[in-house]
Amino acid sequence: MVFSIAYHFLRDRALAEEIAQDVFLQLFRNLNSMESGAHITFWLRRVTSNRCVDYVRKRQRRPEVALEETAELRHSDAPSDPLLSRKLQALVQSLPEKPRLVMIMRYQEDLMPEEIATVLDMPVRTVKSHLHRSLAMLREKMERSVGGTR
Amino acid sequence: MKKLIIAGAFFALMPLRAQEIKLPPNLEKLADRAHEVVDVTMDGPLLQLAARFLSNRDPDEARVKRLVAGLKGIYVKSYEFENSGEYDERDLEPLRAQLKAPGWTRIVGVKSKRSGDNADVFIKSDNGGITGLAVISAEPRELTIVQIIGAIQPEDLRDLGGNFGIPRLEFKNKQGKED
Amino acid sequence: MMDDFEKQLAEALRREEPSGNFEARVLAAVAREKDRRGSWMPGGFRWAAALAMTVVVVAGVGVEKYREAAAERVAGEAAKARLELALKITSAKLTKIRQQVNAVEQDQ
Repeated sequence: MVFSIAYHFLRDRALAEEIAQDVFLQLFRNLNSMESGAHITFWLRRVTSNRCVDYVRKRQRRPEVALEETAELRHSDAPSDPLLSRKLQALVQSLPEKPRLVMIMRYQEDLMPEEIATVLDMPVRTVKSHLHRSLAMLREKMERSVGGTR
Repeated sequence: MKKLIIAGAFFALMPLRAQEIKLPPNLEKLADRAHEVVDVTMDGPLLQLAARFLSNRDPDEARVKRLVAGLKGIYVKSYEFENSGEYDERDLEPLRAQLKAPGWTRIVGVKSKRSGDNADVFIKSDNGGITGLAVISAEPRELTIVQIIGAIQPEDLRDLGGNFGIPRLEFKNKQGKED
Repeated sequence: MMDDFEKQLAEALRREEPSGNFEARVLAAVAREKDRRGSWMPGGFRWAAALAMTVVVVAGVGVEKYREAAAERVAGEAAKARLELALKITSAKLTKIRQQVNAVEQDQ
């Protein structure tokens, strides 16, 4: 879960493992304050999300861009499932930080908007807005990418 | 998969209901002054987990496994101090008072002026069987409090002396011969 | 209820596993943390349990059978070590008390 959140956010395995390791080390230091398994899960998701955002902001690897400016993929000749997954992963990774985390929490972690709001400490309506806009944008870009083959 | 596997009864998740004797606050604070502290709290689930990893083939471990099978909890607090006089024996009185509750009997009390050691062993009995053991060992630079709750066989108490590298101590009669 | 596109998204964002030696590297980092803090056995005992707990969590979020078994083994060995320590201390104290009683009885 921890590695996967970081990986889908950063699309860099080595970096994701580094962040995951830091998160587990922090968990080890804070174990005494954990109250339950559910608390640990919540804590891991939140801390991993924060670490990912902190990393990106510190390193300025990807300047924040508005949702509308996220990259369009060049169309491929014949989209296939593994490629489709990679394309979707790349599109998600091109989203701004907060919408990206919201999408990962929704579609990787299978959390409902209210749960995402708690983990990421944002209003539910903001979560829903991110979901709605990101989905619409991703759909449009995928359709353009696939449509370009015709 | 969202399910997180947790080993359950560690840390604050451990229920302390089996523990009968509560450590008075003054003794809990000794941890700050002691230069070495051993604090072991093992309730049902943790005892069962430990027992699963005791070998039936090793005679010592098999004996421990038998001992642990009837237990509800083992609680050990041991404080070692740099110097004598770092704790007040009067702080043990609330502890000793709890061990005057019905069912508890002091079976051994030893006080040595020469060494300054003061030790008591208590057992709790119920319907003829032993259901608890408590040891208060107060030495000048070390204080140890042990509480074992659950069904204990008398031979288990003797056997404890033969485990983990501690030589089995034979009881000597007045002629100095072994019983 | 997810539509087809959302299902494709969920498939694309399915959980990925870290490299095979990730768990070992986390444990090594935790061990270095322990050394940095300079804890010894009694604190180290709490460390062993914390380590066992961390391993269980790491293994849990990886969700693979062999990791679960390994994590439980670490947790079980840590619990066994704690039990051994508790019984060793109890045994040592009972033995010392018995020696003192024997000495008193022989003097009488």
